Amino acid sequence: MRVTPRLIRRRLVILLMCLLAAIAGLIGRVFYIQTVQSPWLSGKAKQLWSRNIPVQGVRGSILDSSGQPLAYTATALSILAIPSQIKDKVATAKALAPILQMPENVILKKLQRRQLSTYLNPGGRRLSEQVAEKIRSLHLAGIYLTEEGRRVYPYGDLAASVLGITGGDGQGLTGVEKEYDSVLAGKPGAILYYANNKGERMPGEGDDFLSPVNGDDVELTINKSIQEFVQREIERAVAEYNPDHVTAIVANPKTGAILAMANYPTFNPADWRNYPPSTYNHNLAIWQTFEPGSTFKVVTLSAALQENKVNLNDRFYDPGYYEVAGHRIRCWKAGGHGSQSYLNVVENSCNPGFIALGEKLGKNTLFSYIKKFGFGQKTGIDLPGEGTGILFNLKKVGPLELATTAFGQGVSVTPIQQVMALSAVANGGKLMKPYVVQSIINPVTGQVIESTEPTVVRQVISPSVAAEVRSALESVVANGSGGGAYIQGYRVAGKTGTAQVAKNGRYESGHYIVSFIGMAPANNPVLVAYIAIDYPRPKNQPVFGGVIAAPIVGRILADSLAELGVPKSNQGLAKKIRWGDPLTVTLPNFVGLTMKQARDLALQSTAQIRTQVNGQGQYIVAQAPAGGTSVAEGSTVRLILGDTPPAGAIDKTG
Amino acid sequence: MFVPVGSEGKWPVLQAQVHSVERTSDSLDRTIVLVTLLLLSLGIMMVHSASSVVSAAKFHDPFFYAKRQLLWALLGIAAMFWLSDFDYHRLRSLAPKIAVLSFVFLGAVLIPGIGAVRGGSRAWLGIGSFGIQPSEFAKLALILFLAHLLTDYGDRMSSFRRGLLPPLLIALMAVGLIMLEPDLGQSVVIMGTAILMLFVAGARMRHLGMLGGAGLAAFAGLVAAAPYRLDRVTAFLDPWKYPLKEGYQIIQSLYAIGSGGLLGLGLGNSHQKFLYLPEPQTDFIFSILGEELGFLGALTVLFLFGVLVWRGFRIALYATDIFGTLLATGITSMVAVQVLINIGVVTGSIPATGITLPLLSYGGSSLTLMLTGIGILLNISRQAVYPAKIKMNDAK
Repeated sequence: MRVTPRLIRRRLVILLMCLLAAIAGLIGRVFYIQTVQSPWLSGKAKQLWSRNIPVQGVRGSILDSSGQPLAYTATALSILAIPSQIKDKVATAKALAPILQMPENVILKKLQRRQLSTYLNPGGRRLSEQVAEKIRSLHLAGIYLTEEGRRVYPYGDLAASVLGITGGDGQGLTGVEKEYDSVLAGKPGAILYYANNKGERMPGEGDDFLSPVNGDDVELTINKSIQEFVQREIERAVAEYNPDHVTAIVANPKTGAILAMANYPTFNPADWRNYPPSTYNHNLAIWQTFEPGSTFKVVTLSAALQENKVNLNDRFYDPGYYEVAGHRIRCWKAGGHGSQSYLNVVENSCNPGFIALGEKLGKNTLFSYIKKFGFGQKTGIDLPGEGTGILFNLKKVGPLELATTAFGQGVSVTPIQQVMALSAVANGGKLMKPYVVQSIINPVTGQVIESTEPTVVRQVISPSVAAEVRSALESVVANGSGGGAYIQGYRVAGKTGTAQVAKNGRYESGHYIVSFIGMAPANNPVLVAYIAIDYPRPKNQPVFGGVIAAPIVGRILADSLAELGVPKSNQGLAKKIRWGDPLTVTLPNFVGLTMKQARDLALQSTAQIRTQVNGQGQYIVAQAPAGGTSVAEGSTVRLILGDTPPAGAIDKTG
Repeated sequence: MFVPVGSEGKWPVLQAQVHSVERTSDSLDRTIVLVTLLLLSLGIMMVHSASSVVSAAKFHDPFFYAKRQLLWALLGIAAMFWLSDFDYHRLRSLAPKIAVLSFVFLGAVLIPGIGAVRGGSRAWLGIGSFGIQPSEFAKLALILFLAHLLTDYGDRMSSFRRGLLPPLLIALMAVGLIMLEPDLGQSVVIMGTAILMLFVAGARMRHLGMLGGAGLAAFAGLVAAAPYRLDRVTAFLDPWKYPLKEGYQIIQSLYAIGSGGLLGLGLGNSHQKFLYLPEPQTDFIFSILGEELGFLGALTVLFLFGVLVWRGFRIALYATDIFGTLLATGITSMVAVQVLINIGVVTGSIPATGITLPLLSYGGSSLTLMLTGIGILLNISRQAVYPAKIKMNDAK
């Protein structure tokens, strides 16, 4: 190939064209960036330039049913410094030091932090109006005054697990604070400005202050007085029995409104960080699931009456056990209750009698009622963290499972489910949806923005059946195992429950949950109250389970009814006036047992028997009256202690 | 028409015509002068706008960079006009000496104590607060030397060993020294300019193709040795994949250009110069220009560079001898390559390579040597004979 002028010129022209084409290509590229991509890129760029310092609104208060604040946010002006906007940090620190009564170098150190914004602790927090005015008049760049809130709980731990807790930024973490966070929080505002890459404000862009919207108040159904009664009773039970947990609920059965809800161990929401997480993370009243024990018999009874499977006057013979599929299921009472009416079966909480009712109903019917009463599903209460509970899978329910379910074993339920089921009995058969928030209120005008209406989930039993169940339960209190809940002048209906707690598939020795659920007045209940004491450990002497929970509910109901102004009535059943057979209890034999064994034995019995311990030593060497003796409910049994077990005292089953 | 190249490197065909037309000497290309001065003014204005935030913060003087740029521009304009009057043929005899001198400088700058490090490259020979960049000087020196060398090559260009290889090795030597600083941008510009000159000088396409293949193979080898290099090169395709590392500057540049839109935010209103784009007055001046003056400003700049390239090649086309043609080709190619690389990088069109935008970016060495080159170009134009003028004369 020869290098000719023509070749060189041709190549020059080719090269020129290529270069001009490349320049044209770049023009196209720039055009594309500045037209098609421009909105997207400038949007992203604006995000990069803009700094946004959020400013919270004042969080709404949580009020009790009478409008008293249970939790509110106290606000005060605090200094929010934006270090990057402060050009002359030394002068700013110098100006602030005397006003805030803080050393200059401490302020300076905070202003020199590489942070978007910083508070000037401690002098720059919660300023008085005069101090705030002085700072305003200084017009310092990068120094802002913001309202800063602190959650205040005037009644300490009152209704702590209902209220819940708030986190460092005031956000609701548990309880009503979480469930109604968006209502309480309001809308945050912000300080907005454009910044350079060091965070300094760009000149000529100005900044914007978007003022926050304060949150609304939430009025609870919780009645502060009733809540106080409940917590007082819980404290008393804790002092007496040193249990693992206690849970109590008081509800209005007609609406499903929760009037009180408390747990032990509890916490003070103001400094929840100093408590173990288990106390504030779970609201036991709606979260914990356990075997309900005898309180569940109400479901079996209601179903049997609704389905006309039983008449309370029918007779039933209890030999002390019931044989199901080759297994003998024992009655809690050794030797059995003998011949009794079905009303006595209920009063005595006689297991074989309920197994018989379960068999009459059949598994499909019994389980359909269990589900209709709301077990095995969440109640839908307006609190976070509700438990569901566990029922037997219907396909796997054999005669044995049917039998245990009928008297409340082998099912797992939450306290709130039991309260709502009993509320259905109380209100004429309607299962209600429980709620704790009555209304949402504008804190300035006091105007009700939103109000909760009672919600009927379904009609479970007919009003007449419900009334029949109530009268049976009233008789339980007046004549039967629920005697401790009896209140002179108020008609209380209720049911005890004692359930052994299973751990890892085995019943734990000595670990019982003793519970009582009651309602009053029995003819037209306005209250349902429930208490469950998990693992009571009586300190000094054995305590019969029957005398632990029922009296507590009795006291709660008495005080609460008085608080609500419910008139006393004389139409109720008089105590100790027996219907049918007089109620006696066969004493268990404690002789030869250690104190611990004696305590466990006593706890299992719902009998209304008091104990009195004499002497000292490890073993019970004698008792009076002796084991196996029939005594009237309300009697006292004396136990004598000694250091060596008496010879021949082997019959521990009593 | 197969006319052998004359012994003095004159264009025989034109030489023949010269007798029939009036020589239009002393008529330098006024378009180039105008375009150059327009770009220079725009550059000083943008250097001021882009650097004001940085210079106010660093030197408490928002005009720090603008004043210096103005000074360099005046010096450069003086050099430009002086060289436009300086017969470029006399440069040819100086070419070997200048080339040797530039290699001495390139070597000297690498010696710590002599060369100063700025922005990670030992690329400056410091004289007081002013530093000069030997690589800028070397670019021009090499163009001059290659033009000198290739003028006499003629048909030797058909040979790989005797034609293509010697100038290539000289360019590679310069690139090798510059890569020790290291300065990838200048190396790419020098290699690019040299190859464009070889192309115009008549190198065989097959040889150039082989060269390209060798380059690709070398790059593939480097990638195979350290795969992260591929990421670095391809980061421009998706800079958001590496928003804080390789992609950072491209993203910031795209934010600037993109937020400019069609008409721009207005002179002085750039946000991205607020420390988001590092050193916005040098390599990323086009981004700030795009942000403040919009597509209209960017189009103007690209159009002016297009005119400059067109006029430069026109001079190369009608230069009276091969030396003039190759020299004009080299200078214009250098401008074009720098423009394409700089704007290609800031628009995220090609892999990131740091190089200044001719006449616009801040930088004394870059500016004065660019104007020196344009001065030489003007002198070539002054001696060129244009067909338009031939026609005009014919018409007479």
